[in-house]
Amino acid sequence: MKVFLQAALAACLVGLAGCATKQPPLPLTGDIFRDAPMAIEKGPPRDKLLWQYRLALAEMRRGQLDAAKPVLDDALLTLGGVYGKDSDARKARKLFHKESKKTFIGEPYERAMAYFYRGILYWRAGEMDNARACFRSAEFEDSDAENNAFACDYVLLDYLDGFATAKLGGDGNDAFKRAEKNAKGAKPPAYDTKVNTLVFLDFGPGPTKYATGEYREQLHFRTVPSPVHSVQIQVDGIGANLKPMDDLNFQATTRGGRVMDHVLANKAVFKGTTDTIGDVGIFGGAAVLAATGGRDSTANQVGAGLLVAGLLSKIASAATTPEADIRCWEQLPQFLALGQFKLSPGQHTATINFLDSTGGTQPKFTKQITFTVPEGRDEVIYVSDQSTTPQTQ
Amino acid sequence: MKKQTLTSLVSTVALVAFVSGCASSGVKNPSGVPVTHMNADEQGFVAGTGVESQDLVSVTDKMARSILAIQQIANAPTPPKIVLDPVNNNTRFPINKDIFNTRIRTELNKKSLGKVTFLARERMAALDKERNLKRTGEVTASADPKVQEFLGADYFLTGELQGLSTRTKAGTSDYILYAFQLIDARTSAIVWEDSAEIKKQGLEDAAYR
Repeated sequence: MKVFLQAALAACLVGLAGCATKQPPLPLTGDIFRDAPMAIEKGPPRDKLLWQYRLALAEMRRGQLDAAKPVLDDALLTLGGVYGKDSDARKARKLFHKESKKTFIGEPYERAMAYFYRGILYWRAGEMDNARACFRSAEFEDSDAENNAFACDYVLLDYLDGFATAKLGGDGNDAFKRAEKNAKGAKPPAYDTKVNTLVFLDFGPGPTKYATGEYREQLHFRTVPSPVHSVQIQVDGIGANLKPMDDLNFQATTRGGRVMDHVLANKAVFKGTTDTIGDVGIFGGAAVLAATGGRDSTANQVGAGLLVAGLLSKIASAATTPEADIRCWEQLPQFLALGQFKLSPGQHTATINFLDSTGGTQPKFTKQITFTVPEGRDEVIYVSDQSTTPQTQ
Repeated sequence: MKKQTLTSLVSTVALVAFVSGCASSGVKNPSGVPVTHMNADEQGFVAGTGVESQDLVSVTDKMARSILAIQQIANAPTPPKIVLDPVNNNTRFPINKDIFNTRIRTELNKKSLGKVTFLARERMAALDKERNLKRTGEVTASADPKVQEFLGADYFLTGELQGLSTRTKAGTSDYILYAFQLIDARTSAIVWEDSAEIKKQGLEDAAYR
């Protein structure tokens, strides 16, 4: 009886230990412009960066590019300072804490995109060297792929690194050659430093995360076919057909295994083993107790001990959390492309048609963007198939 | 019986205390973290491998001392006029570029005791507007506003940040070379150049790898 009480108390303690991290869920509305500020301010700090990513991109897609700047800046500060000890990250590696306990910074493709979008905004502000810094940091995020063939293989990031260098009077050839070497789709055009209007485009549904495995300990990326395969831009009678230079689905799925995958696999093994030991202990103990018929004997005590050990093992198994972290920047696109124009200073309107695999226009995605090319500086426009239209940037 | 009742009571109280205590456990720093004053030249507990305040301070201190020692400044018959040209950031870290020149300028102004004069070229629009107001008589002038008094530069002070970054399983390494130059505005000769190097390494928690 005493033993059962001890077991019950142990179960109670384990249960209580789990209560510490519960927070009431945020009353999300589905409107990113209400949910994200609320989540950033009142939600769990570990999810703050994810909501900042989401908010920044949503702002950019409704043409509020300046509003995205401080949000991305704050996110990148966190992203750039993850070195060294981090108590939440340490907990995420523990048996009894989920991976999602750690502060979200995203997988390398998500981090790269945060830098990429900030780079666009720097270029737009006329700070080409800081834009280049962002593109380099974005490429750097992709530098630890398991297979070296897939490390630092974003075409557009290298292309923009070299382009900014060329525009600043330097030699961007090395970066251009890297971009050309990695190009799987459209070959990047040669640099023309007289180009004064850049149109950054993204389209198609990007990768999302899901977990598989007996205990959902394996992280995978779901990709779906994009309804959009290329883009046609018309500005002042000048037309350009653009194919994607990068594919985020490819980037997400070629990164290879993570160190954290090994941690989660170990957690899963522990969970499975303790579960099995628990079964053996409970059934074995129950069998012994049944055989002794409840008489007070050594066998009876052994049976009770086995039963308790089995229960404790089951409790440990139930408390083990090997689930992979599937928090995801789900707004990300599949494809990235770049349009380049030489336009006279002043106001212009661009019509952007998103085309399917047969080259047919998908009218529901067509956008109209009005913009003003400044004197002596580049104009930078950002357009997604998810952008609002019409827009003035 | 009495002993059992007492034991039950103590156990219940202990359990209630434990449960109530757990409400804020799991919340990191529930009482907050007090503001910590740090010197700008020391590394804080929040650090990355990029450009940080301690780097800015050490680099600009070194540059200011180095510039003051050169013959063109130390032995100039009249204080040379210097224009600051924003540094070129050739690293992977986006930075506020003006902060380097601002700190070098304030350090030089503080330490040179009038040996150099900096020209506020970044304020030209406001200065030009003020001069035009004086020229049209809309505001008073203490001297003839038609005389050109905006000074030309003797030297340009500028710099470049260059970086080398490496990432392996052992961690991330970032090397940054901070190079500054003083360029003769008349001849384009580089009359002074100095540099500082900073290398940082770090490894993120395995949960992020």
